[in-house]
Amino acid sequence: MDRRLPRADVLLAIMGPPHISDMVTSAVRLAQALLERGATVHIWTCGHATGLTSAALGDSKPRNVVNWSYDYPSGAALAAELLDAFPDRLSWYSCRFCTEERGSAPHIARIKQRPPFKFTEHLDAVDSALFLGVC
Amino acid sequence: MSEDGRRRLLIIERAYRGALETQFADVLYLARELNRQQGGTDILLRGLAVTYAAAGARPAPTVVAGGRTVDTLPDPRRSVRTLIEEGAVIWAEEDDIALFGTGPDWLLPGVRRGGPSNPLPAWSTYRGVYFL
Repeated sequence: MDRRLPRADVLLAIMGPPHISDMVTSAVRLAQALLERGATVHIWTCGHATGLTSAALGDSKPRNVVNWSYDYPSGAALAAELLDAFPDRLSWYSCRFCTEERGSAPHIARIKQRPPFKFTEHLDAVDSALFLGVC
Repeated sequence: MSEDGRRRLLIIERAYRGALETQFADVLYLARELNRQQGGTDILLRGLAVTYAAAGARPAPTVVAGGRTVDTLPDPRRSVRTLIEEGAVIWAEEDDIALFGTGPDWLLPGVRRGGPSNPLPAWSTYRGVYFL
């Protein structure tokens, strides 16, 4: 196993794209529930899910034209919320190839890019790995 | 409405398209904008999307991420009410409603139950038919 990877109880590998199903919502709920119970969690994003933490998103979604002054958090802001709340028990990785291929770079701070040919190290670093969707 | 007075039909068949990342910008937000641009449109809900037209109130959905409670998730039932208020004609496919074993009061008032006894206008009478 790569010594740079901390061990974790669970890896949530978000392989499928956002905006197609409620997979990302489920992943966040699952991560939150695990972390609140004291578990350590790794999140890995592939494909278009790498765009969830793109710095280009900023902190807020574009304005809602029928609710102009309301602030709606971006995916990147919500990822930062999770990382802020559980700094010692959540690690967020993003596939370097997909990040570059899908135009997701640069990511917000604390998102660690990893090459896909190291992915098995991520599987070895956890007790349980859940794949959500397909690239 | 188009210059010749014919409306367009929007068909929505898929529900659950990413509550957390989508929030207000869901398919009904697009439908609302098209309804505004076109001065009225018809919308047919099919499949799981018929639940958008359910009358029953339910708690506003929320998700907690870190220390933040996100209470701006899509609320399609409320969006359908708004669409009706803004002049859209909403249809819900009767066969798909039946899958939920619903009673006659299940649909929001103003939503039309489309089926053999109350068929939608023929697609050819619309200026266009679009799957959203």
